[in-house]
Amino acid sequence: MSVIKTENICKNFGSLQVLKNVSLTVEQGEVVVIIGPSGAGKSTYLRSLNRLEKLQNGKIYVNDELMEDRINGKNHSPITKKRREELLLDMGMVFQRFNLFPHKTALENVMLAPMHVKGMKEAEAKAKATELLERVGLGDKLDSYPAKLSGGQQQRVAIARALAMDPKVMLFDEPTSALDPELVGDVLKVMKDLAASGMTMIIVTHEIGFAREVADKIVFMYDGAILEEGTAEQVFNNPKNERTKQFLDSVL
Amino acid sequence: MDAIVNGFNQIVGWMPALLQSTWVTLLLSVLSVLAGLIFSVFLALGKISKNKVISGISSAYIFFFRGTPLLMQLFFIYYTLPQLVPALNISDRFTAAWLAFTLNVAAYLAEIIRAAIQSIDKGQMEASRALGLTYRQAMRLVIIPQSIKRMVPPICNEFVMVLKDTSLVSIIALTDLTYQTKIIASNKSSALVYVPAMIIYLIMTGVFTYFFNKLEKKLSVYE
Ligand SMILES: Nc1ncnc2c1ncn2[C@@H]1O[C@H](COP(=O)(O)OP(=O)(O)O)[C@@H](O)[C@H]1O
Ligand SMILES: [Mg+2]
Repeated sequence: MSVIKTENICKNFGSLQVLKNVSLTVEQGEVVVIIGPSGAGKSTYLRSLNRLEKLQNGKIYVNDELMEDRINGKNHSPITKKRREELLLDMGMVFQRFNLFPHKTALENVMLAPMHVKGMKEAEAKAKATELLERVGLGDKLDSYPAKLSGGQQQRVAIARALAMDPKVMLFDEPTSALDPELVGDVLKVMKDLAASGMTMIIVTHEIGFAREVADKIVFMYDGAILEEGTAEQVFNNPKNERTKQFLDSVL
Repeated sequence: MDAIVNGFNQIVGWMPALLQSTWVTLLLSVLSVLAGLIFSVFLALGKISKNKVISGISSAYIFFFRGTPLLMQLFFIYYTLPQLVPALNISDRFTAAWLAFTLNVAAYLAEIIRAAIQSIDKGQMEASRALGLTYRQAMRLVIIPQSIKRMVPPICNEFVMVLKDTSLVSIIALTDLTYQTKIIASNKSSALVYVPAMIIYLIMTGVFTYFFNKLEKKLSVYE
């Protein structure tokens, strides 16, 4: 069963075509790493999946349900708005700039959505948030405000916050790009543990070593299109496309 | 020396009337800003709404009340409105002044609130939406609480402006501090009365500014 499937999705910003017929299938439990140069459309692709960007054309299936079926910007998907909201909750997202809520403590950041979206009782939400923050190694930072945390700690709170909604797939948009080099490892470790626990993940990253280690599938995006996909072995060791080779030479 | 003692005695004699009218000035300012604040939240949310009709109406309102003189608005409500719509005859000067100031200050406050809301990083709304919060929930739980800290200083500033601007109401003969001062000046034909009147204004703005500064310091704890 696929958790996410996109078929020929297209996105323009004005006259700029940012996604050109991107088709990708992500199976249950699979870890997909998207690589590619800046401006390739990687962020836009992730953001389209959970509707932070509206597509012009193409289909998005979530758990094999047709969530988006856009033709010239109009959605022809048969599902109700309510069902779509439910499907969207299956996706958790982690941003490059963390986007934690600065007026709330780590614990409150993680508790907010379960309480207000799922109607979870405060005590239950607190127990769950505490457990998640312990899981990402921040059991001693429950009552800290984001401003008092390092970038790496903030990003781990953000991961816990997304996990609190029990998503079926986690989307990561360059989760370590804004971090000081010495803080990257802690975040990658949390992500590796998450992958090992069987979470389905789509990760945009420039951390090639990490990608090699966790990815079931590597996708190379360039200029709004997927130019190559395969296992880490195939894409990193024997890239077929000239662009892929050039890109790998530039980052390795 | 005699002239100074004489003047001082005169001022003391005027104080009861001046203080009584100070109360009118203060009450008008506070009530206008309070009512205006409530109204302005709706205007601000209206202006940033995706609904074109709502945002159009809010924008037009703000444009009108910021784009015409407050004095004209006061005249309009006190003189013109009763002529156009007899049912809206506000004979009480205080109520008319309160209405005019509320409508006017709401437009200014709305711009302050809108600017504060829109100054919050877009990532906050995106993170909220990605977590499944609705737009309204995101506004209420995430965006507005963060923006309050940024709107407090300009709102306090606006209050001090309003406190001074209320002197305009003397033109419709509402006995505020300015009007009372004018009455004394012409009855007793002594322009000396402007001195204590201005000092009273200065004390009021000074006291409010002092407490507002303390409030701002308190709000800037984290960040
Ligand atoms: N909101 C936007 N408005 C206009 N152009 C945008 C917007 N967001 C992204 N773009 C453009 O879309 C292209 C792809 O951007 P993005 O998806 O962020 O690439 P990547 O994440 O691979 O670096 C870039 O050329 C970028 O300038
Ligand atoms: Mg990007």
